[in-house]
Amino acid sequence: MCGIAGRILNAPGKVGRDLVELMDAQEHRGADSTGFAIYGTPRDTGYVLRGMGFDKATMDADVADLVNVIRDHGADLLGDPQLLTDSAAHFCFRMEISDPRDLTAWVADADTLTDRIEIQSCGRSLEIIKDVGGAIAVADKHGVREMEGTHGLGHARLATESSVLPNASHPFWARPFSDVAIVHNGQITDYFTWREKLERRGYRFLTGNDSELIAVWVSDQMKEGLTMEQALKKSITSIDGVFTFMIANTDGIGFAKDRFAMKPLVVIDHGGDLAMATEEQAVRRVFAEESDVINYDGPSLTGIWGVGNRAMAA
Amino acid sequence: MSEYVVDVGQRHIREVNEEIQEACKRGDKIRVINTLSRHNLGVGLPDGAELYFEGSVGYYCGGLNTGATIEVERNAGWAVGEGMSKGMITVGGYAGMSCGAAMTGGTIHVKGDAGPRCGVAMKAGNIVVEGKIGYQSGFMAHSGRIIALGGAGESCADALWAAEVWVAGDVESYGVDVKIKEPTAEEVAEVDEILAPLGLVDSSHNWRKMVSGERLWYFESRDASAWLMI
Repeated sequence: MCGIAGRILNAPGKVGRDLVELMDAQEHRGADSTGFAIYGTPRDTGYVLRGMGFDKATMDADVADLVNVIRDHGADLLGDPQLLTDSAAHFCFRMEISDPRDLTAWVADADTLTDRIEIQSCGRSLEIIKDVGGAIAVADKHGVREMEGTHGLGHARLATESSVLPNASHPFWARPFSDVAIVHNGQITDYFTWREKLERRGYRFLTGNDSELIAVWVSDQMKEGLTMEQALKKSITSIDGVFTFMIANTDGIGFAKDRFAMKPLVVIDHGGDLAMATEEQAVRRVFAEESDVINYDGPSLTGIWGVGNRAMAA
Repeated sequence: MSEYVVDVGQRHIREVNEEIQEACKRGDKIRVINTLSRHNLGVGLPDGAELYFEGSVGYYCGGLNTGATIEVERNAGWAVGEGMSKGMITVGGYAGMSCGAAMTGGTIHVKGDAGPRCGVAMKAGNIVVEGKIGYQSGFMAHSGRIIALGGAGESCADALWAAEVWVAGDVESYGVDVKIKEPTAEEVAEVDEILAPLGLVDSSHNWRKMVSGERLWYFESRDASAWLMI
């Protein structure tokens, strides 16, 4: 059991604050770890990186190694990296960089360092913040409430299939595609079959979390040229298990539900001002007044909500 | 009998339920306000209690009911009335997944649609849905009746035990091992007796009564493909 949430604002605003509310209301669904994917105002060039290193004792050397890989690919830091440590063994970082020559090649090289330091999101707009602990603890540590943007995702994890580790939290970035993130509620039962297949195609898995598979699988579909709508529909017959997952990119948020309708999704849509969550009582934290609630309760459902007051597209 | 108001808001649900139980003991009629779709409201209510929930409630409202009369103004989340043994629950709008799951008695009346697996594993009692029942409704229901006046979603009445699913309107598809029977006049009269107090008797209903084909009751290896259909 996990809890997921999404939020789309009619105009850029405090999307972080709302996502923290949505996740705090669902903390009983899993407080092992909490994560957020926040889409800020997109920049024309350059990327924001978010990530973590596993041992703060070697933080300076690990960050220096990552910066060297960035420079090897023709990019550079735009300002000093922001580093965050507390009593935990791991550290978290945020960096702004200029464009590497080839994003895919650069990510592949940076991923050779993932035994020490891991990039967890790369976006013109996207920033993924994730850590162990409940919504309030993660929000306080990382200043999530103050983050502004147009839309985003949230996730509360109850680890059922793999260890509780800061990097095994959601959302997962669909590396190497910038600005694509997923959150998942459910269990993927053909995880090992798919993982083996995708690893033979050259994809790397950085955790033992079955939900990471969805992010890697989505990357593979994007590489094949599928649109978000096509990938969502295909996922229902391709991936085995119970799931409601959401994908976000700079244009909006999409979702897919498994064939057995096992995991809920509840949405309030006030003319494009949207809140989605696993539980209705969570969306009521954002829209407290009684309003029409859409229950996506049926099997094999997909949909996409666009940012910017666009109606349901799929 | 006076009316007692319980304000839910963001209070701890155990404290809210204790306040409801105290009011039931006093014999007060109860109005629950500011429900905010919170879960587990009014679980384990005693015989004779009368409650009205303003707005919408979350999961398991009226679960384990032992004889209370409960009305929800708008929508209910998952498993409204789960495991109830006696009493009456009315949902003004939509009832989420697993409405009346494993109930052993009493009646649930949903004025809107019901979500997937309505009446899953119910043991007795009646569920009346004025709208449509969702995907796989009646799944493995042991006994009792699910009555839908506005049609049914896919895989209706899947893998039934001895319960009956009655549908007026379109059925998107039938589940595994369903037998559709023409109801007798006596059987229709029995259903009308359930519908009469709700004001829902209508002789124009084109009933489809679904019962188990009883093939899945006795596993035989040559039927394995039927088992794998689900």
